[in-house]
Amino acid sequence: MRAEIERFLYLEARLLDERRFEEWMNLFAEDGWYWVPAAPDQKDPYDGVSIFFDDRRIMKTRLERLDHPRIHSQKPASRTMHALSNIEIDEEHGEEGEVLVRSNLTMFEFRLDKQTVYGGRCRHSLRIRDGGGFEIAWKRVDLVNCDGVFETLSVPF
Amino acid sequence: MRGEPAMAALDDRALRGLVESDRVHRDFYTSPAVFELEMERIFGRAWLIVGHASQVPEPGDFVTATLCRHPVIMSRHADGEVHLMFNRCAHRGAQVCTEPRGNARRFECPYHGWVYETDGRHAGAPYPKRYASGFLKGGEFDLAKVPRMAVYRGFVFGCLSADGPGLDEFLGPMKSHIDAMVDRAPDGEVEACAGTFRYRFGANWKIQMENQNDLYHPMFTHASTTARDGTQFRRHGAEDDEAGRVRLLKENEALNEQWEELAIGGHRYGHTYMERFPMDRGQSGPVHERYRAAMEASYGERAAEAMAVKHHNSIFYPQWSIQYLTQHIRVMNPVSVDCTENVIIPLKLKGAPEEMWRAALRSNNNSHSPSGMVMSDDMEVWIRCQRGLASPGREWVVFARGMNEERIDNAGSFEGRGTSEANARHQHAAWLDYMCGEA
Repeated sequence: MRAEIERFLYLEARLLDERRFEEWMNLFAEDGWYWVPAAPDQKDPYDGVSIFFDDRRIMKTRLERLDHPRIHSQKPASRTMHALSNIEIDEEHGEEGEVLVRSNLTMFEFRLDKQTVYGGRCRHSLRIRDGGGFEIAWKRVDLVNCDGVFETLSVPF
Repeated sequence: MRGEPAMAALDDRALRGLVESDRVHRDFYTSPAVFELEMERIFGRAWLIVGHASQVPEPGDFVTATLCRHPVIMSRHADGEVHLMFNRCAHRGAQVCTEPRGNARRFECPYHGWVYETDGRHAGAPYPKRYASGFLKGGEFDLAKVPRMAVYRGFVFGCLSADGPGLDEFLGPMKSHIDAMVDRAPDGEVEACAGTFRYRFGANWKIQMENQNDLYHPMFTHASTTARDGTQFRRHGAEDDEAGRVRLLKENEALNEQWEELAIGGHRYGHTYMERFPMDRGQSGPVHERYRAAMEASYGERAAEAMAVKHHNSIFYPQWSIQYLTQHIRVMNPVSVDCTENVIIPLKLKGAPEEMWRAALRSNNNSHSPSGMVMSDDMEVWIRCQRGLASPGREWVVFARGMNEERIDNAGSFEGRGTSEANARHQHAAWLDYMCGEA
């Protein structure tokens, strides 16, 4: 199980780094969501604003934009490296039929001669598919600088 | 005569040489000396927004903020009043508070333990006997107040100059633009209760000022935000229908001539605005009907007028704007000649259905967060302007579009239309008034 989860999370990271955004989105369940709060320890996405709070519909809009010929903030495109560590399977929490996985994320982003480093704690709730394998029921990334001053963000964490 | 401005001495003649009726010199955006003078003559004299009183609802609540590069504290004292003071100990100058927000019984300096009440009054210094008798008395060592503070419909303003027009005169007809936002709330109040977004970009503050009412750019800068049919993602409204999706372009990416129909304009002190997009359709549906009922209960016959979204955005020169569609204010703090920091503060319409607030939060996330699909392309363009303007190849920036088409009245207001660059020209005229001593 642990090996399978790690394989899944590493695949997710690689799809983002290879800018295979549609395949990344398809790792999410149809009712799945992706959340990056703008405040530490936010309990509910409707308590305040978020850096990302995407259901599949907004995810699709956002990712189609990443392929748009006139997305100026991605000309040139960012190069990224998502590294995951400290992977823990949380057996106490987690919802019925899902596995809650905690990990630490480091993301390097390079664009226009500037390298930026992001760090955050991730939670993935992985739903076990009937035929085996996982889909992401939800993914939450708590950036250490979530309420800090940002420059433009375009690529998901 | 169009001559090159002499930048050696920034006298009135040199400053006037930077701004002509249909163009500005690149030093307007790139000269550190001009920027320092702006901080003194524009930001040092205009009324600047700090935030909203609802950010400090309870006694002892505070937020720290920046007012023209100066660290300030906005707090609510035990007497229920909001106070605005510089975040600087009267003793040796340390900031007495570094949390972005919170609740404090008193502010205590970390250096030697001087303490202050939440209205800024000096509440004591440890071991006072070593000061001469009476030295610490008499209010001389309170936290310094921002020279003037005023509140309009919950929005808290500070002015770094003790003289000059009052807030009422400064806002003038723009008060109706604040009313237009606040009156949309059934309870007649807005609330800043959703936190903030902060971001920083490498461009001069005026580039953003000129951009916000620029109707010539959306179809190009924001082309990537439109679907194949030319509509944007949902920007407002709680109903799951097509209203709230603004059609920026016609099908096949053709330009939409409706842009040219839009009213734009401005008032004294450089404030400008633009009307709501004509292609932004009215809301309908069960949530909207509940909202209408709440508005009718509060406003009676005035309800339809009060709930109408009248403007797209309104800019209160030189430092903030209201975005009506996504429901936020944008505070724009200059950091240096080529760096600006924005704070986005979403506004909740008190008394409106919860579904509308949730939709507004999501709209803010999608368009104006640091990852916002609208903001990220804007910021990219402003940064590219700043970098391009470093080039000496050409000295002037052109604002000639729709020249002389606007109608100007005697009170310093004007009305224009569509993709004219009249709003930027109006800001430039106010800049000259401030910088050359006539504001």
